[in-house]
Amino acid sequence: MGDHCEQTMRRLSTYIDRELNEAEVRKVKAHLDDCPPCEQVFDFQAEMKRLVRKECCTDDAPTRLRAWVRQLATEKPKPAQ
Amino acid sequence: MDRRGVGMSSDFSLFERHLDALYRSALRLTRKPEDAEDLVQETYMRAYRYRNRFKPGTNEKAWLFTIMTNVFRNRLRQRPAPEDPLDQPGADFSIYEQMRREGMPVHLMSPEEIIVDRGFGGEVKRALEELPVPMRMVVVLVDVEDFSYKEVASILGIKIGTVMSRLHRGRQALQKKLWEYSGRPKAPSLAVGAR
Repeated sequence: MGDHCEQTMRRLSTYIDRELNEAEVRKVKAHLDDCPPCEQVFDFQAEMKRLVRKECCTDDAPTRLRAWVRQLATEKPKPAQ
Repeated sequence: MDRRGVGMSSDFSLFERHLDALYRSALRLTRKPEDAEDLVQETYMRAYRYRNRFKPGTNEKAWLFTIMTNVFRNRLRQRPAPEDPLDQPGADFSIYEQMRREGMPVHLMSPEEIIVDRGFGGEVKRALEELPVPMRMVVVLVDVEDFSYKEVASILGIKIGTVMSRLHRGRQALQKKLWEYSGRPKAPSLAVGAR
């Protein structure tokens, strides 16, 4: 694994989370375009992040809770049990 | 017990918009629907009580999550959860790397094939809920709720470096759990050449 690979791997999470500045983003992107093994690791970790989000976004608040919150806007509700 | 009618209901509809986000995160934190509902109710009660402290035009989602994580942490202090070892360091782990070490042709597989076809995808919620609370909060806030590191640092009152290290360890621990749930042998902590 070359220096560029190591540097890219160290920045991979911050890159995936869109926390790098433009110059750093360009560097990581350039390396990923050049290095299929690093690109595959990137693809995998990015997919893991999407998976966590997708799996957890299926739980919506119960209707009863929504009605209770709505009530707050108009009148003072009973305290939470 | 003041009632400032003007603008109040519009302010609150702004808060209501984040109900699903608060609820699903509460569910990951408390692991139980009843407790999640209770946590969200208390969060909104406080948001209502302190609504005059909210600065219009600032990030109301971050404000609500700050309230909720504080309420949650206070409750934990009242009833400490013994199963949460705090910030344990762990050896580096990734499913991709582990499969590669075991001789799987990961370079010929798409991420979806690796995750779904090999049975790593089905129990993400369970894996997340088993993470120690400090890591779990950071992973939920960043990966599910899409907050920036800076926002998470402010919500939880910790340093950005701490956000990053908890995120890093949390994600690894998550993958390790998914690996173990998939029925594979327990991931060795120092897997150099392990089969």
